[in-house]
Amino acid sequence: MGIAEYFTTGTLAMLLGLDRVAFLQCMVSRPLVAAPLTGWLLGVPLAGLEVGMLLELLWLGRLPVGTVIPPDDTQVAIGATALALTLERLLDLHGMPAVILCVLVAIPLGQVGQYADGRARRANGQLARKAEAAAAAGNSHQIEWLHLCGSGHFALASLCTCAVIVAIGTLILYPLAPLLIGVVRETGLGLQYSFTLIGAAVLLGTLNVSRGLYLFSLAFVATLMVLWLR
Amino acid sequence: MKSAQIPWLVVLRGCGRSCLHQASWNFERMQNLGLLYQLLPGLRRLYGGAPPAAVLQSYTGYFNTHPYLAPWIAGTALRLEERQLAGETLPVDAMAFRQMVMAPYAAIGDALFWGALRPLAAVVGLFLAMQGVIWAPLVMLTLFNLPHLLCRCAGWLLGYVQELRSAETLQRLHLPDVAIWLKEGTIILLGVLCGILAVRGCEHQALEVLWGLSLLPVVLLFAWLARRGVTSFALVIITTASLLGLALVVQ
Repeated sequence: MGIAEYFTTGTLAMLLGLDRVAFLQCMVSRPLVAAPLTGWLLGVPLAGLEVGMLLELLWLGRLPVGTVIPPDDTQVAIGATALALTLERLLDLHGMPAVILCVLVAIPLGQVGQYADGRARRANGQLARKAEAAAAAGNSHQIEWLHLCGSGHFALASLCTCAVIVAIGTLILYPLAPLLIGVVRETGLGLQYSFTLIGAAVLLGTLNVSRGLYLFSLAFVATLMVLWLR
Repeated sequence: MKSAQIPWLVVLRGCGRSCLHQASWNFERMQNLGLLYQLLPGLRRLYGGAPPAAVLQSYTGYFNTHPYLAPWIAGTALRLEERQLAGETLPVDAMAFRQMVMAPYAAIGDALFWGALRPLAAVVGLFLAMQGVIWAPLVMLTLFNLPHLLCRCAGWLLGYVQELRSAETLQRLHLPDVAIWLKEGTIILLGVLCGILAVRGCEHQALEVLWGLSLLPVVLLFAWLARRGVTSFALVIITTASLLGLALVVQ
């Protein structure tokens, strides 16, 4: 990847990262949106869409409620797409097996995101304390400024997470990808579909609906029967 | 009750600022500054400049609710501040009101938006993407954001106009019931999605389609494990290691 592509990736990481908590939360940070957008801007739209499809359901059941910090699937999606471009450029590896390798490396590295997000929130605690002093002094403009500074912490956390995924991911994939690509290809659709199936299962386990298992099983069997009789 | 004194443009500014409600989210006071940030244009108008320190300080305490329902609270709080300043006797003041409703509103918003609408939009988007629809992400965004943006904008305006009655309006919408229906729809779609994947897998391996039924207990087992606290990350590791190991043996 060139400087322009690193710059694009970093900018996207910050902007889409803001959507997770700090700004609007209109779901452009979801992997199914973030990864295709990154892929489109980096010139690998298909790889982006594939990354998004693999990751979308995986952490969907983890709700951003209270003090819970869900895994940073946005940066995993952006980082994995950037890694897919790196593999294509450096090793001429492309297609779904290469994308799966990138996702497999990005997922554990994405755990950094929770730590970085926690740091950002702790840093915002200091802003809140300064805002209390500003309120006591009647300085409303400083309160506004301190509030907006908080989004800077979130943007920085997103950038750091994405940088870790891309940098360490490249170091891991460069020697290992040529060795592993054959095995991943050998798994066929199994590995590819496993991400969606795991995501679906976890979502099914976390959606709190009394007859959820029956509805799911019924829809599953009915679909299978319809496609079998087709 | 006197008519509203704050110009609509100022109310709309507050509504626009709700996009940054969680900009300074922190563990100690959570969204306290976010609420104050939304209210400041209105408060400045009320006090003809910077609001007094006592008013600002009343907003620096703990505040946490669902970000999409925070505008409902902000709109009402501004109107209550306006009436307090006009010397009216209120059944509940702005501070008590927000303390009273933030938790119920959080529960409603979390169940509806995070727990129901977000999974539904994601599953619909994924379903379309798997059928090769290139606009799938846009469909997902539209499906999620129409109710989301409507809730934000209507919340601020209704909160300001209806003040305490806005809570009754929200109650009449029966949002917890809507959340259950959406969750049930999501589960049915998930079943269809997994069924299609099972069929595709069988066709790829040149197996009889009915072999796809064997996938159902696996998914249900994973769902049970997830309910027992096993994370997606652990399930990915276990599945990937198993499949790669199997591929190595076959190779």
